[in-house]
Amino acid sequence: MRTFLSPTRLLLNFAVLLMAFFILGPILWLAAHAFVSGWQYPNLYPSGFTLSWWSKVFVDSALKTAIKNSLILSPLVVLLSMVICLPAAYAAGRMNYWGRKIFMIGIFSANSFPKIGLFAAIATLYYTLNLMGTFVGVMIIQLLGTIIYMTWIPAAAFAAVPRNLEEAARDAGASKFRVFRTITLRLAMPGILVAIVMSFLASFDEAQGSYLVGAPSIYTMPTEMYSLVQNYPIQVAAVFSILLALPSVLLLGLARKHIMGGQLADGFQLK
Amino acid sequence: MMKTEDGMGLELRGLKKILGGRVIIDDLDLSVSKGEMVSLLGPSGCGKTTTLRMIAGFLAVDSGQILVAGKDVTALGPDKRPSAMVFQNYALWPHMTAAKNVGFPLKIKGLSKIEIKEKVEAALELVNLLHHKDSRPGQISGGEQQRVALARALVQEPDILLLDEPLSNLDAKLREKVREDIRELQRRLGITTVIVTHDQEEALSISDRVAVMNSGRIEQFSSPQDLYRQPQTEYVATFIGSLNRFEGDLQNGQILGGTDVIGIRPEDLTISREPMEGSHSGIVELVIPRGHFFEVVVRRKDGIFRAFASENIPTFGEHVHVKIKKALRYQNGKLVA
Amino acid sequence: MKGARLSILGLTLSLPPLILVLVFVGLPIVIGFTFSLGFTKGPNRIISIIGQQIHVKDHWWGTFAAYSDVFHDSRFLGDLGLTLFVTLLSTILVILMGLAISIYQRLIRSKQASILVTLAIVPLFVPVVISAWAIHTFYGGDGFLRSFFSQFGINFPTLTSTSSAIVIGSVWTSLPFAILMISSGMQGIPDALIDAAKDCGAPIIRIVSHILIPLAKTPIIIAASFTAIGILGSFTIPLFLGPNQPTMLGVEISNFFGSYNRPQQSLVMAFIVFMAASGIAILYVWSNVKSAKESGRI
Repeated sequence: MRTFLSPTRLLLNFAVLLMAFFILGPILWLAAHAFVSGWQYPNLYPSGFTLSWWSKVFVDSALKTAIKNSLILSPLVVLLSMVICLPAAYAAGRMNYWGRKIFMIGIFSANSFPKIGLFAAIATLYYTLNLMGTFVGVMIIQLLGTIIYMTWIPAAAFAAVPRNLEEAARDAGASKFRVFRTITLRLAMPGILVAIVMSFLASFDEAQGSYLVGAPSIYTMPTEMYSLVQNYPIQVAAVFSILLALPSVLLLGLARKHIMGGQLADGFQLK
Repeated sequence: MMKTEDGMGLELRGLKKILGGRVIIDDLDLSVSKGEMVSLLGPSGCGKTTTLRMIAGFLAVDSGQILVAGKDVTALGPDKRPSAMVFQNYALWPHMTAAKNVGFPLKIKGLSKIEIKEKVEAALELVNLLHHKDSRPGQISGGEQQRVALARALVQEPDILLLDEPLSNLDAKLREKVREDIRELQRRLGITTVIVTHDQEEALSISDRVAVMNSGRIEQFSSPQDLYRQPQTEYVATFIGSLNRFEGDLQNGQILGGTDVIGIRPEDLTISREPMEGSHSGIVELVIPRGHFFEVVVRRKDGIFRAFASENIPTFGEHVHVKIKKALRYQNGKLVA
Repeated sequence: MKGARLSILGLTLSLPPLILVLVFVGLPIVIGFTFSLGFTKGPNRIISIIGQQIHVKDHWWGTFAAYSDVFHDSRFLGDLGLTLFVTLLSTILVILMGLAISIYQRLIRSKQASILVTLAIVPLFVPVVISAWAIHTFYGGDGFLRSFFSQFGINFPTLTSTSSAIVIGSVWTSLPFAILMISSGMQGIPDALIDAAKDCGAPIIRIVSHILIPLAKTPIIIAASFTAIGILGSFTIPLFLGPNQPTMLGVEISNFFGSYNRPQQSLVMAFIVFMAASGIAILYVWSNVKSAKESGRI
């Protein structure tokens, strides 16, 4: 059996290697640049190692402001998104009200309009409402990108909570609110957590809209990248990339189990 | 009963299976005659499903041989074996109609469309489901799904039919009917059948012979009557039906000290208001109606008796006498004559 | 919608996100649409003053002049071709990779399978800007591939600023979602359904084509439509990785809006992309509804 399988196994290991190269190659290549003084074609090895690019980033006030903006904006956006969307997600997951499906599809189709076109269209409204170049303006743009995650995924999570568990708790004498808090919310938590992570990433990584609406007065980390890659050496962009990727990687550790466990996938099946 | 004169339907020789470092099946032998219906009966974890999956080919054997209709199939995959299985949850493909489900194995064999249509309709006719041939599994009842699964197995004209807990998902009323239907069909087609179940009533009522399994071994393989009347091991005696079990020795109807195990079937006890020779006296503690007879629990000075009675039923608290008519004696778990 | 009833509470709870979407997505789209038809008054006044080559409506319903501009622009036609080509090719690649990995993972539980899935999820956690830039440097003139092959005297082509690079970037960024959807669909297929097919004598190929893929059809279509919609309107990937001319419509919309200051034509292109995306979205909704019907939920 083993010997019969071994060419297949060889092929598989090769596939794994190829995949690792395809996925990780670019990230590692860029990350390595944060620690080198120079790296020119056709040399496979860099000309030297240095940490000097890191201080460049932390000294540059524009970059520092961008980091600060991002770290303030994204948590705010996620919080706001939760307040706005979670009650709706609960309703969509648990109540079979007239208009539920239209609501879900409406949220979805809002997401299928090309983002860049939407941002161009939104400019008109922003001029009228005086939101161009404002903090609130950028916040709303980022908020829009989180809605689909914050409604669809928790809705599926709420819908998946077995009713009899709630009934058992009610039967045991728990009040409606207590049941919601200790049973419903508790069991829907993995889904909500995935929604939070996805929303945070959507907000934190949003670049096109924030750039169109925020620049030149408000820069976030991703929008700063646009100018960074043009105006700075590649090593500075590499350092900045590592910083920008940090929150995402931390969240990866936090929610990996649930995301891989199908919470994300379940969230996008219309029921 | 059909015995060896028709040849072997299924033969397992020294079957062994180790999963995760645990011996699941240990040196298992079983011979099933052609056309015979056999149950593998035992509690969950006894290895009965593992055995069935090895017969079907879903699990490779670690050592031993599997012969179906005299041919060694040990090295073949499930797709190459002349066996067909009905799965516990029927495993009907939800995206195919009943006819498509039944026709799939024929399509794999490369039969023509006309042949497939004919055979599928014949198979569905056999299970009385022709009117549902264009329904999807989600649109028909559990009992009907079961029959589709049966038709899908039978249409393959297998040498051996394997049923994995076929009735466990049906409600009690339906279970009896489907059980009879399966038995009737099996007799009519004369197909060698192995059925896995944890329900002893099911096993005893449907099979020619029952193999009682315990921790990966067959404790006893015999007819339902023998299994009940002559349980070869203490395990089988306690597992099948109910049993009054004592440790000690039985002499002239009296229980004395000893290291043997005495087992008495409830129907082998006689209850009377009058004392009899060698009878035990006691007080009636419980009377449980069991349909056409009653189960009577009698407390005596050093234990209880469970007895069956169909007339002259004593009442709660009454003083009665119990006489032992017949007992089974076990030494180290084995029956001694 | 069986058993749906009018619920004030349900409707009220859904209002906040709905209003947000209506005001900041629905309204701009409607206003934008009127602007593309030459309505230059009201909310479109400011943008009409700022923008160039604005067409003003000459019928009560407006004018198709801006649409005509776009469709007579050879640059747009090139962009459209490239956009459709990249979207189609990338989506096919993503789905094929997703299918291969998920089917393998479903049929054989091995370490390799779980490594493959984990690897494929990684891009989900990398901001698009970084992904685009990382791929740019990796496949670029000073990139690893060129440096690596030069060691053997091979002159590997610079892939950046080609449509190949956009496809590479699109596949890279789209893979996680597709894999999550498809593999979750495949994992949801009970073992017994596969065993039953094996028992019927079906070889692996038949099990894949007749059992696994049909049963995971809905997640596959969802994955394909999300992937296609995402790539169709993508901006950062083609901006960093693609050629200047032709480029993908996402970049061209931005160019027309910003650099060329032709907002009306920019919006026309946005609506054309939207039409294509809507077509795909309908496929998605149809597939969802169909699967709900088949499983008896509706």
